[in-house]
Amino acid sequence: MQSPSVSSTTSQTPQAAQAPAAEPQRASSPAPASVRPVIQLDHVSFSYGHDAGRAVDDVSLSIKPGEFVGLIGPSGAGKSTLAAIMSGAIPHHYTGQLYGATLVEGQDTCDVTLTDISRIVGSVLQDIDAQMVASVVEDELLFGLENFGVPHRHIEKFITAALDAVGIADLRDREIATLSGGQKQKVAIAAILALAPRVLVLDEPTAALDPVSSEMVFDVLRSLNRDEGITVVVIEQKVALLSQYCDRILVMNEGRLELQGTPAEVFAHSADLRRIGVDSPRTARISNSLAAAGLVPAGCPCLTVDEAYDLIAGALGARGSAAAAASPADSALAGEKDGSYGARPDPKSPAPSGAQPAVAFEHVGFAYPAGGAAVTDLNLAVYPGEVFALIGQNGAGKTTATKLLNGLLQPTEGRVTVAGHDTRSTPVSVIARYAATLFQNPDRQLCKNTVLDEVAFGLELQGVDAVAARERARAVIRRFGLPEEASPFSLSRGQRQMVALASVVVLEPQVIVLDEPTSGLDYRECMTVMQTVADMARAGSAVVMVCHDMEVVSDFADRAAVMAEGRIVGMGPLAEVFRNEAVMAQAYVAPPQVTALSERLARGVSPAFAGIGEVAELVDAVRRLAAERGAGADVSGGAKTAFASELLAQTGVSSAQPVAGAADAAPAHIAPSAHKEERHA
Amino acid sequence: MLNVIDYVPGNTLLHRLNPVTKLALAAAIIAATFLAADYPALVGLLAFTLALGVYAGVIRQLVGLLKVLVPVALIMLLLQVAFVRGGTPVAGFVTDEGLVTGGRACLRLLGVALPLVLMLTVTKLTDLANACVEKLHIPYKYAFTFTTALRFVPVFSQEMNAIMEAQTARGVEFDTKNPFKKLRLMLPVCIPLLVTSVAKTDSTALAAEQRGFYLRTRASSYKRYPFVARDIAVFAVCVALIVLGVLL
Repeated sequence: MQSPSVSSTTSQTPQAAQAPAAEPQRASSPAPASVRPVIQLDHVSFSYGHDAGRAVDDVSLSIKPGEFVGLIGPSGAGKSTLAAIMSGAIPHHYTGQLYGATLVEGQDTCDVTLTDISRIVGSVLQDIDAQMVASVVEDELLFGLENFGVPHRHIEKFITAALDAVGIADLRDREIATLSGGQKQKVAIAAILALAPRVLVLDEPTAALDPVSSEMVFDVLRSLNRDEGITVVVIEQKVALLSQYCDRILVMNEGRLELQGTPAEVFAHSADLRRIGVDSPRTARISNSLAAAGLVPAGCPCLTVDEAYDLIAGALGARGSAAAAASPADSALAGEKDGSYGARPDPKSPAPSGAQPAVAFEHVGFAYPAGGAAVTDLNLAVYPGEVFALIGQNGAGKTTATKLLNGLLQPTEGRVTVAGHDTRSTPVSVIARYAATLFQNPDRQLCKNTVLDEVAFGLELQGVDAVAARERARAVIRRFGLPEEASPFSLSRGQRQMVALASVVVLEPQVIVLDEPTSGLDYRECMTVMQTVADMARAGSAVVMVCHDMEVVSDFADRAAVMAEGRIVGMGPLAEVFRNEAVMAQAYVAPPQVTALSERLARGVSPAFAGIGEVAELVDAVRRLAAERGAGADVSGGAKTAFASELLAQTGVSSAQPVAGAADAAPAHIAPSAHKEERHA
Repeated sequence: MLNVIDYVPGNTLLHRLNPVTKLALAAAIIAATFLAADYPALVGLLAFTLALGVYAGVIRQLVGLLKVLVPVALIMLLLQVAFVRGGTPVAGFVTDEGLVTGGRACLRLLGVALPLVLMLTVTKLTDLANACVEKLHIPYKYAFTFTTALRFVPVFSQEMNAIMEAQTARGVEFDTKNPFKKLRLMLPVCIPLLVTSVAKTDSTALAAEQRGFYLRTRASSYKRYPFVARDIAVFAVCVALIVLGVLL
């Protein structure tokens, strides 16, 4: 078998080979080859039991001091196992079969104790509550320092330094239980940092955080990496973060290392990534599609909105003639809008006249007796067949709103009606017949011994007789491809979420409430879940979802309400909400990349870009404008085919059958001279 | 839900005592409660505990605990009254001796629970563990187990609430008025709770080991917990309490 760690990136096309050259200013260029890697894996394999398959399969890699490495892959790909191998938890804590050699600072992890390894490699676990050993922040930091016998006269210095490095000096005397998720994550990092490790290994540190807190955590990691020279290895599902912060990205699939390279190198392979089940930043998708269509040079995907703006503006030669192509493109766009993508239900008018809302909030107020996220004067109506998103920061009152909806909380002011029932006079168990909730953590929902029992349980609670309930449950289970007789708890995280989703789908409820339905899922699972939800909306359910992932929201929601400090600060069709910069800033929500990009393009290049929220639409608009302006002269037939397959691939992946899009593999036929246009710094 | 064993910050004499002294004080009150047979003594000890609670500013926690304990104490009284058959009948099956023993059991139950909770609310768990390791020479392993168990109580109760909410939203009738039905419905919920707790404790063990848990010795703690004059004074009070308990 071939060595899996060899990247297929560098030698594929002449364009790809130039990619590193187009990336001159990325933070720390790889250290010279002579530097000893701080972690080295040599043909490492691991399986958790004799019969179990290999969770990590023949992985070789080396991590050099000072690197910032991101690790991504679908769930079950072996990312956490690989992190455990690097941190010494394998072989010292988890048992199984380990092959190959893992060297930390040149020492085989099998020969030294876990305690000694952790002096070099500090690891932050996925479950932050379990990681904590004390109830006060200061004691949490003290714990490791005391244990490792740091001389007491130095301890104060280490604590202050660690708290300052993470930016939480003000939290020193706080009870950990009273901190927010983002703050806890920082405490966990500070507690490891106080031990002055050379490497930090973090397992999905931002899984439970909103976008702003996620960026803050990554900012902390970057400053540690740059200023303290600490090597960072981070498992992360949010590709936009990885592409912004990492020097190198490792892509895992089925225990193997499939791809590795700089973000630009890795995300140039968006078709491969899609096959594996890994998302790409939307800007990378846009530039890859444009490259495939022959409009821009191939091989260097854009990782940020700025880069993409420069690329497109450059390709269109937008100097002066901004308003030229506005109106014809606009009308053409409107005509083609509906047919061009299949990922979401057709946008609906927000309030069909005469239709009865499935959910109505009228001047709803609620305050917890003990204080905390209160909501004030919420007014909203959600209609059958639409997907309605609630967006905002942690603590803005979104979850409180969903609990008011499914009756777990009752409004202290105003009125909530669900399918015509007032939640104050209807028991929660009755409301459950009309409104089904999918929670963030499926483990709280599952309680039966087999998947079949689990899915049928909700129906039985509604009074459907056991035989009919099983019949309907079987049909849904088959549709989802789940193992009928397996115990839900033996399944993977993603599959457990699918079981929870199946038990919602089987109820055919009028209202579906989703609280962070996609956190902890990989890209493919996320798309499958959301596609199912979109199908149910099309079948007439009203969907209310709370979601931090703005890309998911922009793909699937029709309307959105933006919440901040317990109030709705903006509401309307999705595109309008995302374009309202004042509202988005007030709620500390960053608009999705495509919206941000199209807004900038609309201002700076052509009004034809206004209001675009989809990769395909944006690419389409660029193609049209390019044709009009004669900028992209060689848009050939072949390129168009490639472009069409990118479209196909986009819709294909959302129905859980990824089509290996030919977009990225399409032969590029741009003369090298076109490179000068692509971007500036 | 208000957590009764959460640390309540403060700077009273009670807060500043050595954790071991506080433990001794609580133990002395409890010992006296068991030794004393007189009603005035039992009530007096209870009042003493509550007075300390008021002084330390944790009376809210103690009252919260009382709300839970008083019904339990009443059930105990009822059982005692039903089972103690000696003495002269007062009304129906109730005898005077039953009432007296029952009442004493009630007061003792409260007298045992309150000092312990009082002590926990004015002491940080880490301080308690470190001081016990330093002064009482308890192996750190056990101290850590104890504090971690206490620390997990609120974590698991949150988890339990979240699970109950999720099940209620599915249509399980947790909102029923019938307590027996509710109990029966709660049993299946224990499965997810158990799964979560096992995973959590395993992670905690790993996290502790990766931060040098096995290197820890008695001398590791950064904070020192010396006995000072006020501790000696409180020890004297402890002895007095026990003597009082024996005499009364």
